[in-house]
This record gives sequence, C-alpha cells and structure tokens, in this order.
Amino acid sequence: MQGSPLQRYFQTFTPAAPLATFRLAFGLLVLASVVRFWAKGWIAELYLQPKFFFSYYGFEWVKPLGPYTYGLFVVCGLCALLVALGWWYRTAAVGLFVSFTYIELMDKSTYLNHYYFVSLVALLLMVLPAGRYFSLDARLSPGRWRSQVPRWTVDALRLLMGIVYFYAGLAKLNSDWLLQAMPLRIWLPAKNDLPVIGFLFSYPWVAYAFSWFGAFYDLTVPFFLLNGRTRPWAYATVVVFHVLTAVLFPIGMFPYVMMVAALIFFPAEAHERFLQWLRRGFRLSSGVPRPAEALVYGPRTRKLLLLGLGAFFLVQLLLPFRYLLYPRELFWTEEGYRFSWRVMLMEKMGQVQFKVVDGATGRARLVNNYEHLSVLQEKMMATQPDMMVQYAHYLRDYYARRGVTSPRVYADAYVSLNGRLGKEFIDPTVDLARESDDLRPKPWILPFDDEIIGL
Amino acid sequence: MLSCQKDSSSDSANPSTEPDRKALLTQWADSVVKPGYKNFNDKFSVLKAKTTAFTAAPTTATLVEARQAWQQAYVEWQKVEMFEFGPAETVSLRNHFNIYPTDVAGINRNIASGTYNFELATAIPQQGFPALDYLLNGVATDDAAIAQQFASSEKHRRYLTDVVNKMNETFGTVYSQWNGSYRDTFINNTGTDASSSLSRVINAYSLYFERFLRAGKIGIPAGTMTGNPLPEKIEAFYHKGTLPLQLATTAHTAVQQFFNGRTGRPSLRAYLDAVGAKDSRTNQNLSTLISDQLKASYQQLSTLGPDLYTTMRSRNADAVASYNEMQKAVRMIKVDMTSALSITVTYVDNDGD
Repeated sequence: MQGSPLQRYFQTFTPAAPLATFRLAFGLLVLASVVRFWAKGWIAELYLQPKFFFSYYGFEWVKPLGPYTYGLFVVCGLCALLVALGWWYRTAAVGLFVSFTYIELMDKSTYLNHYYFVSLVALLLMVLPAGRYFSLDARLSPGRWRSQVPRWTVDALRLLMGIVYFYAGLAKLNSDWLLQAMPLRIWLPAKNDLPVIGFLFSYPWVAYAFSWFGAFYDLTVPFFLLNGRTRPWAYATVVVFHVLTAVLFPIGMFPYVMMVAALIFFPAEAHERFLQWLRRGFRLSSGVPRPAEALVYGPRTRKLLLLGLGAFFLVQLLLPFRYLLYPRELFWTEEGYRFSWRVMLMEKMGQVQFKVVDGATGRARLVNNYEHLSVLQEKMMATQPDMMVQYAHYLRDYYARRGVTSPRVYADAYVSLNGRLGKEFIDPTVDLARESDDLRPKPWILPFDDEIIGL
Repeated sequence: MLSCQKDSSSDSANPSTEPDRKALLTQWADSVVKPGYKNFNDKFSVLKAKTTAFTAAPTTATLVEARQAWQQAYVEWQKVEMFEFGPAETVSLRNHFNIYPTDVAGINRNIASGTYNFELATAIPQQGFPALDYLLNGVATDDAAIAQQFASSEKHRRYLTDVVNKMNETFGTVYSQWNGSYRDTFINNTGTDASSSLSRVINAYSLYFERFLRAGKIGIPAGTMTGNPLPEKIEAFYHKGTLPLQLATTAHTAVQQFFNGRTGRPSLRAYLDAVGAKDSRTNQNLSTLISDQLKASYQQLSTLGPDLYTTMRSRNADAVASYNEMQKAVRMIKVDMTSALSITVTYVDNDGD
C-alpha cells in the first residue's frame, strides 16, 4: 500500500454486511410502497383514469401502459422483492431501477422527492456489490460469495444520504423559512387537534422553533451520523424527526424510507449482528465458517465504476444549483425546482382558467379543467408553468380535433405563495399554444413582486 | 415557555382566540346549518300544502297562493344550497332541487307518458324548483290558462305532486340526518385532511360560489363562457321579474354571512384571524381582504336590477362586470383562504408544493 491518503482510502475494504442489510430493507420498503400504492387504488386513479398525462422534458415517450400499467407495478414489486432476497440480484436491480423510474416519469403531477430518491438508490444498487453477501445468489453459487467489499461502495450510499439531508437543509436557508416561519406557520395550526402536543401548534413560536430546528437538523445530521460518539443520538433524532413529519404531513412513505436508509451509517458490526439475528430467527444455517474473502475488482471495472460514481455525484452536487441559471425567483417560477431536495418548503396554491379562441372566427370559450384533469393534476398544474404549457398544447389539439381553427390558448392564472395574497401568475395575452415547453426561462411568467432572500 | 404566546402574538393578527376547529364546526352545525334547514323546512311545508291545495282545486286563486309559496321557499333555498356536504352530498340534494335551465321538452314527455324516474341523470333538469317554475309560471300564457291546464289534466296535477314529493323525500332524508347522528359525526371530524369536515365544507362552499352562484346565476346567462348572452338560462326564467335577481342576491348574502358569521362567534373570518392569516406583502388581514371583496361583489351584483333577464341583454357589460367581481372573490376563497386553512384536496401523498 502506498500513495496519498485518498489512494489509500480507495484501497480499503470493509465488511459487506451494511450493503446486505441496506439491500434487504430497501427492497422490502419499495415492495411495501408498491403494495400500498396499489391497495389505495392509486394506479387506476393516477395512471388509468386521466385523459392526459404531464410528461417530463425529453421523456415525452414515457406514458402509462393502459391496463398493462398494473403489470409494470407487478414487475417493480417483484424486482424489489428479488433485490431484497439477493436473488438474480443484478438483473433485479436493473429491473427495479427501470420499472420504478418509468412509473415516476409517466406523469409529473405525482412527482415526489422521495420517489426520486428511490430511483437514485436503485441506480446505485445496479452497480454496487450488494448481492454478494447474505443473499440467495451467494448461497446458490458460493463462488460469488464475498464478505468484504471496497469501502467506497458502502460510502457511496452514505454520501447520497448526506447530500439529501444537507441540500434539504440548504434549501431551508431562506427568508420565508427562517424569518417568517413559512410555510410551517400555515401547516402547524391545521394540526392543533392532535392529542397531547396538538395545542402547541396554535402558537407561532412553535412554527419558528420547528423551522430553525428543521434547518439545523438537515444541515448537521449527516455529520452527527458519521461520528461514532454522536451516532446513537443522531439516529434517535432521525426517528423522532421523521415520525413527527409522518404524523403531521401527508408525505406517505418518505419518513420510513429515510429512517431505514439512515441505518447505512451504522458500523459493519451492528449490521452483522442484525444479520446474525435474522439467521437465527429464520433458522438459516450459516454454513461452514469461511475465511473472509474480499471483492477485488479488475482494474478496468474498478476504474469504470469509480468514474461512473464520480460523474453521478458530480451531477448530484450540481443539479440542485441549476436554478441559478434562471433569472427570477425560484419558488415563484419553479424553474429548476425539482430534483433538488426541496422538501416541504412551500405552501403554494393556484387557480387557472383557460380560454380557447378560434383563430379564424375569434370566438372564445372557457375550459372546465375538471373535464380534462384529475383533482391532483389540476392542483399541480395550477402553480407550475411548465405544466400549464403542456396542458395548453393538449387543449390546442383537443379543440382542433373538435373543429376549432388554429386554436389560441390563454391562461388566466392566480397563485398564492407562502401566505402572500395571490396574484396574476401568467401573462394572459400570451398564446400558450405557440409557446414551447423547454428548459429556457419562461418570460411569460409574470413578476413575483416580492423577494425571498437566501438559497 | 407557554407564557410567551402573549408577546409573540405581536406579529400575528391579534388572535383573539386560538384556532379551534371543533368550535367552528359546532357553530356551523347548531347555529347555521340546522337552523337554516329548519327555516327552509318551514317554507317548504307551506309550499307542499299550497301545491296540494292547488292540485285539489286548480283555480287562479290557489295558483297564486302556490306560486307565492314556491317563491318564498325558493328564496329560502338560496340560504341552504351551499351546504352540499355530508347528507346533502350523499343524496345529491342540489341535483333534485335546483339544476336549470329546466328541461321543458323532457317535462312534457314525462307528463304525457306518466312514467319517470327522478333518480336518473337525465331527469335532473326535470325536477326541483326550476321544474316548478315552469309548471306554475310557464305551462300557459296567463294565470287563468295555467289553472285551466291543471284543472283539465290529471297528468299535470300528478307531475306537480310528484315533483314536490320527490323534493320532500330527498330533503327529508338530509334534514333528519342532521337532526340525528350526523351532527356529532360532523363536529368530531376536526382534522384538515381531504375527508375532514372543514375540507368538505370549504370544498362545497367554494364550489357553490364558483359554479352555481358566479357561473350559474350570472356567468352563463351573461355569456362569459361562450361570448354570447344567453338570458334564457337565468334562474326562475319562467317567472322573471325581480325574482331572479332576488334569488342571486339572497344567495350572495348567504355566502357572505357564512364567511363573516356573527361577532364574537366562531366563523371562517374569526378562524382566519386566529391563524394569523395575512398578506405578507402588505400585512393586511386576509379576512378583511376577503370580506371587502365580497362586499364589492355584492355591490356590483345588486346593480343588475330590477329585471335580471332584461339586464342580461340591455346592460350585458354590467352583468359581465358582476361576474368579474365575483371571480375575484372566488379566487380569494379558493386559493388564499384554502391555502391559509391548510386543508388538503386529495388523498394522494405530497411533499409540499
């Protein structure tokens, strides 16, 4: 062993147990998510009933598959189970990433940061050696068994977790969050009927305390989790924090995903003890004790993996800052808002009335959004300009088919953000049928007329 | 720590009280909805009695009395139509009471055939107050002819009776549930999720204001949706005169009263003050902004008299202006108020928009 500390770091090995428990827990959690999603009837409600879907820029070809969409969820759940078991691990991880990401790309009105997180973890699991230990693969072909893996393979997951928390914390460093306690000042009083602690939420100082603690927590918890002495306390706050958010907000599986994923910060011995406990519980034979065996990549594979991970993390570090390329207030225009760990950050609500004008006769008609969109879609579209253009294009084509000559589509939108009285959101004289939905700034979004200072 | 609530209130809208949803729901149940339904029930009983008298002996005199009872019940209905949540939502009360323009051809077919099912979707515009409007005001050219029509046609008498009976039956279900166990169910569902009482009420309230008051009474007949005035689509079209505007202003006043409540009692207005809802750009109380806009909207609406039907044609711009004033209030209720109340409209997960 020689070279710089960094080179030495990349030569270090660590037990494979953390990857194995992470794989197991993550797979089961995604499986539970799929079952829950199905049981709530959301597959039909979100992907079968709507007449129109909001696709992502560049992924317009990703559409729900009609009744086969159920099949897609079956594939996703099955892959999640196989990942958990470590059976056909590599194939299952690829299948999980592809099916889950496809589902998320079908309609951006269902965008959730934690779905994005699940996609990213699945992407990492495709290349990380999480199927080499405590897996069916290793049991069925013992030649594949490895008890030690390069340390960076475990740290990659820790780094992703750290980015999620830290960037979520950075996003809270703005005047609305810290100085106005917005949006918690709106959200907390709505929960003041909770038993025991509910009465506290009527007081504005509690919203301030939650805001400041939330920002501090997000910014620091990855570091406290890394440090052995602070880790047990840090993990206890992870549990308390996420249980509290689960009770307070309708954020579904997110708190559980984070609680489970944060276990990756615990040392290998803890994971090994947990696996021993599982072996006993399920009466799995540990087999003949084998000497530790490390997974050593060939130089080319290793280089490729490290370069790939480097590129992945570079994108992760930069992508949340792409909003700096846009001239105006991020929360208002939402240009560069998604995929940036901006979680529970805004109370934004809107109403938009579309008008379709016949290009030949000038005859105008107003559109009833509920005839075309689901409640969720309409709610999401009403505050997000990119979705308004997409919907305007749909309306243009819809009315063209019904005999309107070169339809022009105008939006009269009204949006309220973090307690500011609503105001006109879109230039009502701009024909959105002729505007394109791309990554350039959208000049037809009207000014915010206020300032939110911060990141 | 708790003692600092007093001084920290300096930056919230002098919260006279804490936001208390149970008190608000109790106020609505016991002092708004139930008394509202009681008053309507009284007026509706008179309507039932007078139409019975009319069908028993159709004369000009009994017709005028039945019509008067219809008019008074119709006005009273405007004060309760917005309560389309809970039992009223379950039975689709509005569909049985006030969907117009009424389907005259359908009504005449029903009268001729003598077979009809008021639960069918196609039968929605063939019943309720709008059907009675046609039957009592529009089946013939004058009162004598109308009375004569009913005197000579058993089928007409039967249809009128059936329409009133259907209304009686549907409303009766709703009324008895509010006087029964639903009241407790309602006041104890104190959350803010999509199935909570507050969410259901606000949803019904803003939907009513937007679709049935703003669009139904003014927007559609004024032609704001299509660009052409359609005055024949006004409420109480066969009666005309001052009644259509009276219905609209009564409905608008009910919407305002529901928001403002009574001084010192729980109301939407007091609740918004209790959560400290303010426009952070100007620091004005949201409750005042909404209340003022509702006033402005009422003011504009009340200029459309005396005869709304004529106004829709002769002063269409005024009708459109009234629609626009209402639209401003609708937005404040649908967007600003709903946001400040932090109620959710769907059951699907979200992580904050």
